[in-house]
Amino acid sequence: MSTTVVQQRLTALWETPKTLHGWLGTVDHKELGKRYIATAMVFLILGGVEALLIRLQLWGPQGNLLTPEMYDQIFTMHALSMIFWYASPILSGFSIFLVPLLIGARDLAFPRLNAFTYWAFLFSGILLYIGPVLGQAPDAGWFAYVPYTLSRYSPSHGLDLYNVSLVLLTISTTGGAINFLVTILRMRAPGMSISKMPLMLYSTGTMSIIAILSLPALTACNIMLELDRQWQTHFFDVARGGHPLLWQQLFWFFGHPWVYIVFLPATGMISMMVPVFSRRPIVGYAYIAASTVLTGLVGFGVWLHHMFTTGIGHLGMSFFAAASMTISIFTIIQVIAWVATMWLGKPVMTAAMHYVVGFIALIVVGGLSGVATAVIPLDWQINDSYWVVAHIHYVLVGGNLFPVLAALYYWTPKMTGRLMNERWGKISFWVTFIGFQLAFFTMHILGVAGMPRRVYTYVSGLHWGWMNQVITVGAFIVALGILITIINFFWSRKHGAIAGNDPWHADTLEWSTESPPPPYGSLHIPTVISRHPLWDEHEEEEDPRGECILDQGRLTLVTTPLDAQPLSIARIAKDTIKPLLAALGLFVILGAIAFRMMLIVWPAILFTLIVLALWLRPNPETEEA
Amino acid sequence: MSSAVVFDPGQHRVTDHPPPIVQVVDQSRGTWGIMLFITTEACLFVMLFVAYFFLVQINGYWRIEERPKLHYSLPMLAVLVLSSFVLHWGEQQVKKGLLNKGRLALGLTILLGLFFLFLTYLEDTEHLRTLTPRSNSYGSIFYTIVSLHGLHVCVGLLMLSWVFFLRQWEPAQRAPHRPYHNAAMYWHFVDTVWVFVVGILYVAPNLYKSL
Repeated sequence: MSTTVVQQRLTALWETPKTLHGWLGTVDHKELGKRYIATAMVFLILGGVEALLIRLQLWGPQGNLLTPEMYDQIFTMHALSMIFWYASPILSGFSIFLVPLLIGARDLAFPRLNAFTYWAFLFSGILLYIGPVLGQAPDAGWFAYVPYTLSRYSPSHGLDLYNVSLVLLTISTTGGAINFLVTILRMRAPGMSISKMPLMLYSTGTMSIIAILSLPALTACNIMLELDRQWQTHFFDVARGGHPLLWQQLFWFFGHPWVYIVFLPATGMISMMVPVFSRRPIVGYAYIAASTVLTGLVGFGVWLHHMFTTGIGHLGMSFFAAASMTISIFTIIQVIAWVATMWLGKPVMTAAMHYVVGFIALIVVGGLSGVATAVIPLDWQINDSYWVVAHIHYVLVGGNLFPVLAALYYWTPKMTGRLMNERWGKISFWVTFIGFQLAFFTMHILGVAGMPRRVYTYVSGLHWGWMNQVITVGAFIVALGILITIINFFWSRKHGAIAGNDPWHADTLEWSTESPPPPYGSLHIPTVISRHPLWDEHEEEEDPRGECILDQGRLTLVTTPLDAQPLSIARIAKDTIKPLLAALGLFVILGAIAFRMMLIVWPAILFTLIVLALWLRPNPETEEA
Repeated sequence: MSSAVVFDPGQHRVTDHPPPIVQVVDQSRGTWGIMLFITTEACLFVMLFVAYFFLVQINGYWRIEERPKLHYSLPMLAVLVLSSFVLHWGEQQVKKGLLNKGRLALGLTILLGLFFLFLTYLEDTEHLRTLTPRSNSYGSIFYTIVSLHGLHVCVGLLMLSWVFFLRQWEPAQRAPHRPYHNAAMYWHFVDTVWVFVVGILYVAPNLYKSL
């Protein structure tokens, strides 16, 4: 039987029709991954514009571009957009697009759940941005400390929207995490044992475990705060036995692991790119894998370092300071492995590689300022100053945005079929990198000079003016750099060079498919015998009898968790709009709770339950767990 | 195990090449999914128990608050534990192919769950006379945990009813007990949470005061 017939058959099975129903109901991981990335980029731009407004307000002493109330809302929205609606979803987007291709599966383990988590992510972002549209955005910073956030001090709907949108985003993130874990543990290509899987799977898997274990703490916080705000309970009301530290303990028990949720998958992407552009296998594969998992583990034991100034006992502080310093060791191991790989290889300085090297430089600085901040006396001095703002931007912009831009240059050819412009990529890198240093290195000095974070203006005579101006100029340069990449992306979609299957001569399975990949992924489910399937002699899709085509339906292979031996055949669900309807139901329920419209809540709950019951009903044709 | 359902290419005779490399239909993903879902739900209760201990410790509530009464919570525990055993027995029957017995056990479990909710109603109407969610932070966390558990009982009951009314129980492409098994896992989880709720919220303060 000819290959073309098989291709046609698989395409007919897997292709999403270009209709409205197809667009709203697609469960294709490639389509959903790209949507995740695009939506997260919109939040990056929104958060970026908010950052520029902040910087314009702080240009000189006694700035009056924004009122204090507006300033509070804008810096809070900046942080929420970046930390929650950009940094984590964009990494999920890359993982959703790449994980099935990396392991040779035809889709994720739960494709409809995947569609649901996308819609829930989108609707949660809309829920959050209802606030600024009404002029009632959350205004108490991204960690929303009580008592500022109680209804007595913050009567607008802003904090209610904060609570409900985070609950919806948490549902989305948790669903995604479950999906990743089951996919990574059950659906790897035959032969891709746990010691042969690409490092990105370690980081995505670790991120998923962290999400499943830590996000409930945020949900508990949101539930308690919303009960306090709307139903007059007393979790945080000191007069009735409540306590503000209850919020801080639970929030940071979630909050610090969240740092690794937005950082670890990015290190995984770096570990994919470094060996390809160094033209050799990565140094210390096992050490990188182990330190990824250990970062996740120890990440649960450092949250108190956000609370060193709250009057906690010395024993507790010492333990958490030690743990916070320990965790840097695992990052150092990874940094040494990346540098050693480049050192021993022949680095090819593509645009993506520029961002990779820039990332390593920034994460070393950010890591060092982090270790410094873990020293308790120093923390007491610089807490709530611009030093902390500098640190968080070194680790989050350095540790998340730079890897994401690298990944954009590296994987866009796989997604669109066309390479992005290398020359403009390098220009964009240098502009972003220089602007970044101007903006954020200066913040260290400004912090030590005493400027507190989150003040809407400052008086003259403190000599803070020129540093703030440098920062503002730097911020605009960063924005220009990112704008160049965005323009480059859209220009290259039309005019970029045709990528072909594997433009970088990379080693992992996603590059064995066409660019962009056909709806079914690879023709034969591949088999793997080494860590570098495309660099070894073994032919992945060698399948003379056609046992690995699986064109008897929408099928993919399930393998054992450790050794990846073929075990069974998984049926993959068809396109459906039920996930969209379920996410819409949750959106209405939570929105109605935020605005105290309980009459809408009950019918919305009923609607959501009916959708879920229909969704989960086993269908003899395409049944799916 | 009886769960291995053979993948039958005869039903899908569209291709002329040999059947796939393995011929067993996967049923593990759903169970893995529900186990991870239960894990994250369990963490939510752990966080609320942490909040409970935090507030109790800071305010010394176990010394100053009235002891929670046990005359409803312990029978409620008995009802739930019994329901778990009934449901597990039912699952064994389904695995043997005795579907009617399985459905009977499922119905019985749902009735026991509803009885639990009725007891919750009685317990709350009595308890609310002395302590309300708005009395102080003790009342707030106490009723939040108990209500959240009650909510989980409702969700568990909805899952079990969904399986109960599921038409497609005949062994078609999937072992019939799989949805049964997954809903049962969730129900056992809900029961286990109540063991901790009774132990921590009801029994421990009583023990503390009698020491």
